[in-house]
Amino acid sequence: MKALDTITAKFKNLPSAVAKKFRAIPSELAGKFAGAKEILTQGNGKVTASMLVMGLGQLIYRQWIKGFMYLFVQAAFIVYFVLTGAGDLFGLFTLGTREGNAWYGVEGDNSVVMLITGILSVFIIFLYIMLYISNVKDAYRTQCAVDTLKEPLSFKKEVGALLDKSFHKTALALPVIGVCVFSILPIVFMILIAFTNYGGDVVPPALVDWVGFKNFGKILSLGQFAPTFFKIFGWNMLWAVLSTALNYFAGLGLALLLNKKCVKGKAIWRAFPILAYAIPGFITLLGFKFMFSYGGPINYYIQQGGGEVVGFLGLDAKWTARFLGLGVNAWISIPSTMLLATGILSNVNTDLYEAARVDGASSWKQFIKITLPYVLFATTPVLISQFIGNFNNFGIFYFLRGGLYVDGYFLASDTDLLINWLYNMSIDNNYYSIGAAISLVIFAITSVISLTVYVLSPSYKQEETFR
Amino acid sequence: MRKTLPALIAHIALILAVIITVGVLGVIAAGVSAEGSEKFTDELERNVTLHILENDTAKEQGYLKELLDAFNSEYAEYGIKAVDANIDQYNDLEQSGPFGYGPDVLYQANDALMKYVDGKHILPLPVDKIECAEELSEAAFKAYRSTVGGQEYTFGVPVNIQQPLLFYRKDLIPENWETEWDDDKNGVPDMIEYWTDMYRFSKQIKKDSNNSKYGYMKSLNDGYFASGYFFSYGGYVFGGEDGKDTSDIGFSKNDGYLGGKIIRQLASVMNLECTEDTITRNSYSRMAKGDYFATMTTPDVYTLFIKEMVNAGYTEEYARANLIMTDIPSLPVSGDLEDESQGFKDMVAMGGVNGYAISSYTKAPNASLAFVNFATSYKMINRRAELLGISPARRDLAEELGGLNEKINQNLDSGSIYVMPSVRALAQVWTPLQTFCATLADDVLNEKDVYVTDEKLKDGIRNVDNQIYAAIHTLGGS
Amino acid sequence: MNKAKAKVVKAKSKKVFNVVITYCILSIVAFIFFFPCLWLILASFSKSGSIYSFDGFFPTEYGFDAFKALFTDTVMYNYKRWFFNTLFIAVMSCILGTLLTILTAYCMSRFRFKSRKAMMKATLLLGMFPSFMGTIAVYLIMTQFNLINQHWGLILIYSAQAPMGYMVQKGFFDTIPYSIDEAARIDGASNFTVFVKFILPLSKPMLVYTALTSFTWPWSDFILPKMLLIDKDLYTVAVGLMSLGETEFARFAAGSIFIAIPIILLYFCLVKYMINGMAAGAVKE
Repeated sequence: MKALDTITAKFKNLPSAVAKKFRAIPSELAGKFAGAKEILTQGNGKVTASMLVMGLGQLIYRQWIKGFMYLFVQAAFIVYFVLTGAGDLFGLFTLGTREGNAWYGVEGDNSVVMLITGILSVFIIFLYIMLYISNVKDAYRTQCAVDTLKEPLSFKKEVGALLDKSFHKTALALPVIGVCVFSILPIVFMILIAFTNYGGDVVPPALVDWVGFKNFGKILSLGQFAPTFFKIFGWNMLWAVLSTALNYFAGLGLALLLNKKCVKGKAIWRAFPILAYAIPGFITLLGFKFMFSYGGPINYYIQQGGGEVVGFLGLDAKWTARFLGLGVNAWISIPSTMLLATGILSNVNTDLYEAARVDGASSWKQFIKITLPYVLFATTPVLISQFIGNFNNFGIFYFLRGGLYVDGYFLASDTDLLINWLYNMSIDNNYYSIGAAISLVIFAITSVISLTVYVLSPSYKQEETFR
Repeated sequence: MRKTLPALIAHIALILAVIITVGVLGVIAAGVSAEGSEKFTDELERNVTLHILENDTAKEQGYLKELLDAFNSEYAEYGIKAVDANIDQYNDLEQSGPFGYGPDVLYQANDALMKYVDGKHILPLPVDKIECAEELSEAAFKAYRSTVGGQEYTFGVPVNIQQPLLFYRKDLIPENWETEWDDDKNGVPDMIEYWTDMYRFSKQIKKDSNNSKYGYMKSLNDGYFASGYFFSYGGYVFGGEDGKDTSDIGFSKNDGYLGGKIIRQLASVMNLECTEDTITRNSYSRMAKGDYFATMTTPDVYTLFIKEMVNAGYTEEYARANLIMTDIPSLPVSGDLEDESQGFKDMVAMGGVNGYAISSYTKAPNASLAFVNFATSYKMINRRAELLGISPARRDLAEELGGLNEKINQNLDSGSIYVMPSVRALAQVWTPLQTFCATLADDVLNEKDVYVTDEKLKDGIRNVDNQIYAAIHTLGGS
Repeated sequence: MNKAKAKVVKAKSKKVFNVVITYCILSIVAFIFFFPCLWLILASFSKSGSIYSFDGFFPTEYGFDAFKALFTDTVMYNYKRWFFNTLFIAVMSCILGTLLTILTAYCMSRFRFKSRKAMMKATLLLGMFPSFMGTIAVYLIMTQFNLINQHWGLILIYSAQAPMGYMVQKGFFDTIPYSIDEAARIDGASNFTVFVKFILPLSKPMLVYTALTSFTWPWSDFILPKMLLIDKDLYTVAVGLMSLGETEFARFAAGSIFIAIPIILLYFCLVKYMINGMAAGAVKE
């Protein structure tokens, strides 16, 4: 209940909080640019040299290795731009002007490739700007060092700092680049596609064009949309909450159970869920679909017992199918939540439990007051991402009950999630741009929910205080 | 700020200048159009490797190896080598071709191949250089023609015609069939010839065995096979002259709704498994065990039936002698399986024509053409028919092989085969259609009895058309 | 005296009851998880390929045919090759992915730098995008880098996308007390040394979890390999199994069982690191 009070209190304070933030912006900006101002006013001739050509200042300071490294970056960047970068950047706006004709071996412009390389060139520009700024800052730092210490920092010392104070910069460099190219780039691509007409007949070699907000207009003006959307959205939320809670608490419970002192052969008991985890998901889904089909084993035994076949996943099986979906999803996901909980629990301070037992607390109380807050704190972000994962769980109902349109739903069945519906309407049809636009709408909704929960959660605000 | 700010600005200006200059030059250069060249000269390329994409059955049964070996030995002097592309038989040339990962020659169904025409991913073929052109069935060849920019081109060479066939157990036909089950006294059991008798026979089997054995069994929600019932009564998929007009969905047109009636009646002699794909999967073993009498499927799975029969304890000779593939039965004109009074008509079933096409991205179009000619020669198609049991599109061979092969050829000519249209939107047809068929089966087997009147059936199938239309057009188009 | 004795007996019987219930629940849970796998195992030993020839859950005849066919019929389904392809990809992505994820999580947990909160919010946001178009984008990127039909392309993607899931590991690092770091810094260690010598040994359970999850993923993912690997000999097991026909269920099951084997082996190798209650002792050091 305290949480509810906190949330309502926050909402009440929202308007004044927002106003305060707005008022603070000018001074914040001034603060951010204070550093830049300092460099611009105080920088000496060598800093100026670095501003003109990267690495020049460092070379003048006789920092040969660093100087040549920056110079190399400068040259590489120019080469990149002359070779492909400039063309790619322009291509981002034109999306191709020449249509190819494979019959005559005429190579035209592939619009989507141009979109991708265009985004890549924008990323590279950002990377360049960051390196340029670091180059200037570094020259200025050397200047300060020379002013105070009478000599520039040695290369060895700088490398040492990279492993110590600036360790995060070294360690994060590769992951950030990797994530940028292979996770962020596709997402930016998808967002931009929503503003083009890519899809259906407009696929390479045909040229794709920018159409602005037309796709969104098309979606929002559809009358048949609203009833189906709200029905599916309601079910989707219910599903996400139920499945996440079920998987999380069952996994936690299982981990706790297996942690008990009286359990012998822990590794063996844990191996069963791991076995379930090891078998690929799509195989188990197909297996369960078969198991519950009219011709499957469960109905076989029912018939042997003299009963009538039950349509677990059939046309009318709205709630049975939903319930089955929950169960199958739990079967697939609980092993990994169990593993996760086991890992997190391994660091629990057992002294706390001792103290609680001495004070006479029952195991249930121990769970609520010690274990639960601890685990929740460590895993709130995970909980959120699992919620989102379940919200967008395409596979479960696609494999279990795909290929069905139910009355009262526009191109969907009563177990479809928003993402299945999205697939039916657009991707199945190859209407990529519409699919991208709808994805953005779904994303807008889910992101508002998750960000609010995340920012309000203790793991975000009080990371230090838990210890 | 004395010198620093100007330096900063100079740097930025320099970079921008480079970008804009190169970019603008690039745009101008793109405007200059490049010249194409004629692909099919008479010069065979030398020392090239051709990647051939064939279907899995050809590979499994060893035909592909024979074909490749024969071609390679014949064209060894030119240094032309044909190899198996070793990629997925349903590989999408649109995705793989432009980037250089596609095959040179590909064998796929006509609806798959003709979809590549819009993007110009397959080459228009010079008809005068196609050696077997004269021998090919005109209807089959037509499936590979299309009009682009006002001119008609041919894009592929048909190899075989595919249609659904009736598979049945000859040894399960009652011994007294000549007296009981041959009303027209033509020496062929009626339940093989007419759906009405198949229906009657199935009812009998189901009753006599107390629901443990069945006659005709088929997953009715399989749209590919169920669609035929609608076509037989005047329905169609897409309208327009070329069958590609997606604004005109035709399952409910003319008397198409009678197809729904037939499906509902057929469902009554089956069990609830016909509403899902269970029967598609278990028909092999059930027919081998004798629990099912007949089913309808495509000829490429014939070997699976034989294998299951061998598993069930029969010898292979016995299996081949008693598991028969034949043309599908005829439907009653009345649209009611219990009413033979108006006579019979041929069933129209969905089918297709498989053939070879040449990728536009091949580096050796002439060698590829030579391969296609070699592969569609009398000798090779004959061998293909021998090994794979296909029905050739070559008239001369079809006549020579006779029997079912010839009949299928004639079916294509007479319009009893509805060739699958090569329209992308076809993907949207299946779900509404199969939901409706499953609903009809569910209606009769769970005794809901909603679709018992013609009006209800008409409404139902019209709803299917509307759903298909909505699925295609609501969000698509400009 | 008697009252005390009665209390002890009561406490003891409560304990026994507790243990019995625990084992009951564990057995039920184990059975629920094991049964479908058992069914799959039995199916792989079935003589007939079709699942419908079974007697309910159990095959009517048993034989090693499916396993034999799996490894000998390589014309169409080169399972042996696929298996080693996937093993290679899984091992490499496991190593690289774990390394990158742990580094990222550690930095996000321990360091306070300017863009930190923004990055955390951004990664949360990015993880929420439905990823349909993502696959097309990845395909196009790979064509530009010429990494189609290459296993390293897949490894690159799996490893590069792994750090997005750093939040689990970060949550774990957050629970390791700062006092350990401080104690080590007082002794003059650099951040790098603190990480390698002090934090990592305490994080074994999380390392196990990360390694296990990043090893398992390539075995079951079929969307990405299907797109990026065009040549059939380069397929991974997941894609290859999808291409098996429906009547070959026994072979399909046999193939699936073999996928599970390396994962279970890895689990048993790493399980001894998943012991609990280590932090209690660590601070006192």
